[in-house]
Amino acid sequence: MRVSSPNILKLMWRNLKVNTDPGTLLFLVGLPAMYLIFFGYGFQSFAQTGANPKEVLKFMAPGIAAFQAVIAGQVAGGMLWSDKRWGMLAQMLVGPFTRLEYLMGIMLTSVVLGLAGAGIMFAVAYLLIGATTITVAGIVLILGAALVGSILFGSLTLILSAFIKSSTAYNSITILILFVVNFASTVFYPFSSSLPLPLQYLFIINPLTYVANTVRDGYLTTYGFGDVTNLFLLLVGTVILLFVAIWAYRRSDISFV
Amino acid sequence: MALRSELVAEVKNLNHSYDGKKWVLKDVSFHVKKGEVFGLLGRNGAGKSTLIKILTTLISGTEGQISILGMDPARDGPAIRRRIGVVQQGESFEFTSVEGNFDIYGMLWDVPKKERIERRERLIKLFELDDVRKKRAWDLSGGQKRKVQVARELMHDSDILFLDEPTVGLDILMRRSVLDFIKGEVKKGMTVVFTTHNLEEADYLCDRVAVIETGKILAMDTVDNLKQFYGKKRTVEVTVGKDEAGPFFKQLMEGLPAGDVFKPGENGSALIITESPRQVLQKIIEVSKDGGVQVDWLNVRKNTLEDVFLDTLAEEKK
Repeated sequence: MRVSSPNILKLMWRNLKVNTDPGTLLFLVGLPAMYLIFFGYGFQSFAQTGANPKEVLKFMAPGIAAFQAVIAGQVAGGMLWSDKRWGMLAQMLVGPFTRLEYLMGIMLTSVVLGLAGAGIMFAVAYLLIGATTITVAGIVLILGAALVGSILFGSLTLILSAFIKSSTAYNSITILILFVVNFASTVFYPFSSSLPLPLQYLFIINPLTYVANTVRDGYLTTYGFGDVTNLFLLLVGTVILLFVAIWAYRRSDISFV
Repeated sequence: MALRSELVAEVKNLNHSYDGKKWVLKDVSFHVKKGEVFGLLGRNGAGKSTLIKILTTLISGTEGQISILGMDPARDGPAIRRRIGVVQQGESFEFTSVEGNFDIYGMLWDVPKKERIERRERLIKLFELDDVRKKRAWDLSGGQKRKVQVARELMHDSDILFLDEPTVGLDILMRRSVLDFIKGEVKKGMTVVFTTHNLEEADYLCDRVAVIETGKILAMDTVDNLKQFYGKKRTVEVTVGKDEAGPFFKQLMEGLPAGDVFKPGENGSALIITESPRQVLQKIIEVSKDGGVQVDWLNVRKNTLEDVFLDTLAEEKK
């Protein structure tokens, strides 16, 4: 199937225009910022007396930046779902685009939102904890993890939106899955071998754990070879999920209302 | 498949099934000439929308040959879609203002910004959408939404415009102005494929009409030829008192010549499409005398497209 870059860019621009209403912006930026502020300061009360009061914020900021990949992915699935629901998918597909271009347009939107969201979270972190030294390698790791993470979670929600037809079912299932993804990860707290075994497994199989760990290592300049392995594993998972998403999207009914 | 130069669409022996069991289109063949308005006339569920979906490359036909603008939809989908416009039957809007819907559509179709604004303003004025231009498209009334959908498709140039029941939900005045606008575009060289179940619209707008029922084309010709072909038939209109209508029409139907089509109407009225109007008139007088029923209205007239449609369906049933 032919794919044209200008078409994908046009579709991305359209997606951004349609999805940047105040409600979505609040969801994209406001919610993660509130997580950072409330959880960052709230969890501080668990820290030992005399500890640096900004340590928890410093730990959580890159986690929340990584969490933006999930938010961006959620918006991507929402875009396909609402285009199907409101008739625009069928209308777009009788326009001058291929189906794959439409899907890639959504993916690119997800990547842009994921990267922009991560940037905004680091800006919020700067306001709360001040400047941090980040190396070029750290920036590359952060960008790579945020990019791959956005495509991965975008693919996951696209698979869901390709199959689910009712808005209630779509919302319930995505909220449930993303709740597990968000909280059984190292976004808000570190992995610990003291966790119950099933939870440990959940942490380990959860891709967000790897996105958060890589972004955190890039931000705190604690990276090593493990982060390259993390990125590679994420990339493999992303390619698999992306192919499943393309397959699911192609076989889904585009004309239902 | 080679396309004759004057044809912009050609369909040969098209069959389609969604589930591999039930055929929703059966051996459909027709062509559309450049610069004409071709109407697909049929009841709801007749197969019109499926046919439009196939012609606009949204789905592939199960069997048969199709050529749109000399291209094969299965191979040249994007190139075909770049040259057609489609107003689908269902609602479809961007979750933004009326203006935003026009702008986004123009941008997606590569209309330069200056021209985009000019077109938007012209269409907003023409379709009387000025009062609602800042409103979200989804908050508009049904008729206004339909206007936006039709107008939006005119933001870009098309060689063929596919309109799937474009006037549904429009008031009489707006319906006429949309049809007149389409006529104007056709004069400028556009070809229109138009589906409707409204016979008056088809009569007003279409150069040629295909009557489609349960996936089959039952009749196809120019509107005038169809009327002429069925012109040897006449339509007898009869109205009696509402309370007496039941037994009166029952007795009348029993005595009608074979092949006549009887269509009951409202408030004691009915239409009879017949080749023997004199015989039908005699029968009406006879039944009214026998039953002591007063005939309030009796008229014999030439066929309209609606009569042609009814007659075609009745013959198909036989």
